[in-house]
Amino acid sequence: MSRASDADQDFIAAAMPAFISEAGEQTEAIESLLLELEEQPDNRELLDSLFRCAHTVKGSAGIFGLNKVVEFTHHVETLLDKCRDGVLALTPQLSTLLLRCNDQIKNLVQMANDESADSAEQKSERAELVAQLRLYTEGSKQASPADAAHADAPDTADPPQAGPTLWRIKAQFGPETFRNGMDPLSIAKYLHGMGQVESMVCGWEKVPSLIDMDPEACYLSFEMALESSASRDEVQGAFSFVEDDCVLEISAQESKQQRLVHELEELPVTPRLGDMLVSVGAVSQDKLGELLTEQAQADQAKPKIGDLLETKAGVPPKVVEAALNKQQKTREASGEENRYIRVQADRLDAVINLLGELVIAGAGANLLAREARNVPLIEANLHINALIEEIRNGTLGLRMVPVGETFSRFRRVVRDTAAQLGKEVNFEIVGGEAELDKSMVEKIADPLMHLVRNSLDHGLEPPQERLAAGKLAAGKLVLSARHETGAILIRIEDDGRGINRERVLQRAWDKGLIEQGVVPSDDVIHMMIFEPGFSTAEQVTNLSGRGVGMDVVKRNIEALRGSLKLDSRPGQGLRVDIRLPLTLAIIDGFMVGVGKSKFVLPLGAVVEVIEAGGPQVRVDAQGRHVVELRGTVLPVVRLRSLYDIESTQPERTSVVVVQSPKGKYGIEVEVLHGQQQTVIKPLGRLFKSVRGISGSSILGSGEVALILDVGSLWDLATVSTSAPTSANDAG
Amino acid sequence: MSSVALQPAPVAPGLTGDRATAAQPTQQYLLFCVGDETFALDIRPVREIIQYSALTVVPLMPDFVRGVINLRGAVVPVIDLQARFGRQRTEMGKKTSIIIFDVGPPEDRIEMGVLVDAVSKVVDLGAADIEPPPQFGATIAREFIHGLGKVDSDFIVILEPERALSVDDMVALSERQSVL
Repeated sequence: MSRASDADQDFIAAAMPAFISEAGEQTEAIESLLLELEEQPDNRELLDSLFRCAHTVKGSAGIFGLNKVVEFTHHVETLLDKCRDGVLALTPQLSTLLLRCNDQIKNLVQMANDESADSAEQKSERAELVAQLRLYTEGSKQASPADAAHADAPDTADPPQAGPTLWRIKAQFGPETFRNGMDPLSIAKYLHGMGQVESMVCGWEKVPSLIDMDPEACYLSFEMALESSASRDEVQGAFSFVEDDCVLEISAQESKQQRLVHELEELPVTPRLGDMLVSVGAVSQDKLGELLTEQAQADQAKPKIGDLLETKAGVPPKVVEAALNKQQKTREASGEENRYIRVQADRLDAVINLLGELVIAGAGANLLAREARNVPLIEANLHINALIEEIRNGTLGLRMVPVGETFSRFRRVVRDTAAQLGKEVNFEIVGGEAELDKSMVEKIADPLMHLVRNSLDHGLEPPQERLAAGKLAAGKLVLSARHETGAILIRIEDDGRGINRERVLQRAWDKGLIEQGVVPSDDVIHMMIFEPGFSTAEQVTNLSGRGVGMDVVKRNIEALRGSLKLDSRPGQGLRVDIRLPLTLAIIDGFMVGVGKSKFVLPLGAVVEVIEAGGPQVRVDAQGRHVVELRGTVLPVVRLRSLYDIESTQPERTSVVVVQSPKGKYGIEVEVLHGQQQTVIKPLGRLFKSVRGISGSSILGSGEVALILDVGSLWDLATVSTSAPTSANDAG
Repeated sequence: MSSVALQPAPVAPGLTGDRATAAQPTQQYLLFCVGDETFALDIRPVREIIQYSALTVVPLMPDFVRGVINLRGAVVPVIDLQARFGRQRTEMGKKTSIIIFDVGPPEDRIEMGVLVDAVSKVVDLGAADIEPPPQFGATIAREFIHGLGKVDSDFIVILEPERALSVDDMVALSERQSVL
């Protein structure tokens, strides 16, 4: 690979990101497989997939010339092979070692672009890991001295003894060879006697100019390819007299037949037998063509192409057999693997963007058709819109990935953190198959990680404490996901201490987050732990953060238009519910109008609508706008005055009652436009400071409507009504 | 929204022909009116010019952010240049136009519209026709000025859009306002 031409280099540079991403997936798979194997150590299938993953990483790293990855992974692979053969059992210690090795592989892959990033520390850690791996692999077999000496060079591993081996021998004789009475030629002759010499080259690069030459010194070396059924020891035996004064390298290379068999196994998916054989060079394309015609012309009992290849083209039976095996495997695998197509995320995003525009354009055409009162046109448009809807749903579905992949990453975190803390934890994942938008999955990982760690760290008690409280010694932590009407519910549940309500309340009083002496509802108290600066200062709550506060968790989830809910049962556990929309691209909205402006409310937040003519908004004793609804008084946000919208106050207004994380409230509007599905368009950086608005949406008429964010709108309204200047609005 | 094609740039009538034949390389500038003053803008980042039509007001933004428009499916902010210079907001007239152009650092370039009273013409200016911004006496902040271009016998202020319409600066201003 080091001699790769420029074109190769370009190709490698272009393909590198794909390799890194694929290797990343493989290492993730290795990790989850290892963890699964801990629970079911005898599962042969898992072990096989584990081996395959390691092998894939090694193989593709080889293509990119990433020798460090290849070398290191090779050791891992060797060990896994032993496990597969049943020589070694996958003990927890071994699994820990393999997990650490996997981390190293990950690091090495990450460094693929920048070899210099490899620190001395990492090198020494790798060396240590390799030493440990070797301890396992070599402890389990009769290590011959030759193997031990060559074990660090992966290529020298002897291939399984199936027929003669092609030995590649390189010998550089020391200068004293002749003086010691030895002759390289006699050794070469001896080797000739052991089998078939495929090639031999004499190296004379070391021979100096005549003036400097010592006539009695030996400067020669030779390289030989020897096909022989002799073992490595026997081959090495030929050099026994010169061993002390000779640099010797013996490596096994498969014989031609073995090479073909191996290459076939490594071959990418080609379903046709003949093609496979052509690509490894076992038969020429022309010959194959000839045989295929022959096969086609045979009237009855068509001969199998494999048999023809064997008899007519002289392909060794073993090679044909390997090709057939490969074909069989490919067929089995294609059921699984070929169902996936790798697509670049930005291409998919571009399609989804276009679809968003198509939805808008479709709505526009619909509107025009209605205005023109052209019934056939309206019907045609309805049909088109229905199709657009289907396409859109299908395309958005392409972005959906099972959330379980993210969940399984936590297995490792839970395992390691619990071990660190000296706690016992049974970690369960439920509903990992629930799907979520890919971009959401990526963004949800960090907040989830934080919540999981918090549960482990502060929620679950140490074993003794649990036993004393009459619980099982091992704590329970369940991460679950399920769909719930247009949203996904992710739940983190533990059976630990729960939130210490009194301490949180005390702390909130101290920090002035809640007025001294006021005791709000439990929900409000629990949500206090998500306030900025609440958990970081000192370990007052049993949910204090590490590094980032819980406020970041809340902010991240709200940025995804999600919501958080805590359910704490003191002494029995804590449940955190995270509700997220399935996608960030489209929203079911409820459109309202104030003056000339149009706003969209997320339909999920709308509880009910009080139409004009119902109970009217009035001003209560504190100067706040309220509306009475079935005996309860709801605060009302008056959009017109809050957003300073120019309009004449209409006689009657409608109120949309919405549910926000802070509770129910009403939004006073002038016109109700009704329900509408809209495509969300971000407002961009310039509008970063805008509050109460989460984005914009383009309507069928081409107008831009703003999407209201019920959570921050309420915050904004409470801030501005408490400010003395804008407390009242006389219309 | 009818749009005015800019490429290939028609040579505006009244342009001096001899300048084009001169050896020095020239650059095209778009002339437009804001209030009773004429300004120029390097034409390269300009995407298109559209007629003013209703835009959506984004509440609680500073005066110079007039709102957003739908530009073929993209939501594009519109800045009132007059208000950005600290003057009155632009009154909508018959010739009110929105110049759409790209602004921002290469890694974070966005489309933005500026509201102007009228777009007049495109001129070619060579380096010799451009003088550095004046030390004093300019009607707008000196940092917003790229230079003074000599068109016919007048000097016209060439704007420096990366400063006059810097997203970061405007975000800072909006944030300050929303705190107040």
